[in-house]
Amino acid sequence: MAISNEQMKDMYVKMRRIRDFESTAAKLFAEGKIPGFVHLYLGEEAIAPAVCECLRDDDFITSTHRGHGHIIAKGGDLNLMMAELFGRETGYCKGKGGSMHIADRDKGILGANGIVGAGHCIACGAGLSAKIRGTDQVCVCFFGDGSTNQGTFHESLNMASIWKLPIVFVCENNHYGISMSQDRHQAIKDVADRGAAYNIPGIAVDGNDPMAVYEAAEEAVARARAGKGPTLLECKTYRQHGHFEGDPAIYKPKEEQAAWLEKDPMPRFANFLVENGVMTREEVDAVDAQVAKEIEDAIAFADAQPLPDVETAVLDVYSDIVEEVRER
Amino acid sequence: MTSIGIIANPASGKDIRRLVSYATTIDNNEKVNICKRIVLAAQGMGVDEVVFMPDTFMIGCAVLDSLESDRVLKVKLDLLDFEIEATLADTIRAAEMMEERGVGALVVLGGDGTSRAAAKGISSTPLMSISTGTNNVYPAMMEGTVAGMAAAAAALMGDAARECCVRDKKISVYVNGVLRDIALIDAVVSDDFYAGAKAIWDPERIRRIAVTRCHPATIGFSAVAGAYEIVEDTDDFGLAITLGSSGRGVLAPIAAGVLTPVRVQSAERIPLGGDYAFTAEDRCMIALDGEREVRVQPGDEVRLRIDRDGPWRILPRKMLSRAAELGMYNVE
Repeated sequence: MAISNEQMKDMYVKMRRIRDFESTAAKLFAEGKIPGFVHLYLGEEAIAPAVCECLRDDDFITSTHRGHGHIIAKGGDLNLMMAELFGRETGYCKGKGGSMHIADRDKGILGANGIVGAGHCIACGAGLSAKIRGTDQVCVCFFGDGSTNQGTFHESLNMASIWKLPIVFVCENNHYGISMSQDRHQAIKDVADRGAAYNIPGIAVDGNDPMAVYEAAEEAVARARAGKGPTLLECKTYRQHGHFEGDPAIYKPKEEQAAWLEKDPMPRFANFLVENGVMTREEVDAVDAQVAKEIEDAIAFADAQPLPDVETAVLDVYSDIVEEVRER
Repeated sequence: MTSIGIIANPASGKDIRRLVSYATTIDNNEKVNICKRIVLAAQGMGVDEVVFMPDTFMIGCAVLDSLESDRVLKVKLDLLDFEIEATLADTIRAAEMMEERGVGALVVLGGDGTSRAAAKGISSTPLMSISTGTNNVYPAMMEGTVAGMAAAAAALMGDAARECCVRDKKISVYVNGVLRDIALIDAVVSDDFYAGAKAIWDPERIRRIAVTRCHPATIGFSAVAGAYEIVEDTDDFGLAITLGSSGRGVLAPIAAGVLTPVRVQSAERIPLGGDYAFTAEDRCMIALDGEREVRVQPGDEVRLRIDRDGPWRILPRKMLSRAAELGMYNVE
């Protein structure tokens, strides 16, 4: 089905939210206002919004340590996210999870995750759940190229394939696992090639072009929803910052960084929308201004929230069901 | 010194048609294996040098490492020296450099799109295209050993090799009088207005198809024209058809494993040197050899011209038969 102008505008709004949220997080982290670690999605904004445009509210996503973009794209609340980054009591995880553990069950966001490769297994659980319950829900599993060397990646693709689980495995190949370039950590260039080993279609697209990502994701999601099984979708992209904030990324050649900046998805997509009459330049500017205000509001909200009491530090560690089991 | 060139596209065979059809998957390590067979066959035939295009998978380096490690490499292997962009521009540039360097034949591994890019970089070098792509018409599914032997024979024969080649037709795409690009097999007008995942697969979105040649035994949108009327590579004309809701219905293999009924509203032959012209009513994309490349705005005047000025394509069986006549397989 052809993508509508409204969908393209929605993708741009989400991309802009991610870009501004992440740019702000970088600034606030440098100023010491955000504790812990933050891993930013800057440069990869074309992927999650395009993929999530193909999802319903009751579909699931699993995320990574670089999860802000996924959560915003699936409809995460900016205020609650920012409050969580600030470590405040009203944040998504009551201020105790921080950047890498944001989840929102009501929106199908099964959580960012500090363990590389853990999302694959959770996605299999979500997919199996949908299958057993007889729904047509789909789970999208976002992950980076580094995690495709983990056993969990291979085990999950195998399980998803043999059980035909409704999962779209979306590899955001930013070409680095922490500081190690892809050509040093695996003997293939296209992660999509690994799909064949598990009888899963593997395709590669330009991950800095939301239209290319959308087209592929739409087909993959439709395939999963129809019970035809999983897909491995590789989106080639590049993170514009270091692995985490504070990492100067001296391992990235300057020429490489410059070449990828030329393909920055933000101006590229804005220009595409204007050139094709989807939005006027004034409408693009209005979205930018609206999003800037949303981010300002999120900071003000977060800043005004209380820190959690120290007595709450050991609460919410185990779920109630575990407590019940223990009591038995 | 007799040399051949090899351009292996590491990006071929991974597009969206693996999702929307049942297309073949050939990974890059298999492309390395094919290249090894080409090199060893060319070496066996008496070629002195094989030149590779540099690429992101470093296929040429992998071939060198493997064959040296196996101690079977005698021919000189060289890699062109330029900074890669990881786009079709690399193929065009490599083809240009190889022709300037005087390689006797060029072997291309990829799909129709890769062959198209290579054709943009050469004018007289014999071309041997092997399919490692998707819905391929131009490149042939072929064992690398045979391709290497045929390319080597062409290089060793020099100008006489043209007797065993066919000069292909080509479509030149003009928009408002300006040459925008070329196609070797087909130019397909679709309702899309963006390149997106590049490949085309949805017949509902296709309006017009112009082909240099077509046959129902091929895969892709040229097969729609081929199901309507067969045009051989030797015919001095091409064909243009328009699709719609009325007209003659034909069943065509538009993708791997996908036979689709389509209605052909009109068809016209395009003689060599002739045009198929139309004015765009809406914004659309023209896909060249299967990939959306040229964006067209409403009111644009589009002209698709067919000439027999494409690459000199090696006919492997004919080339190897001629090689036998010339005693190329004789040994002491």
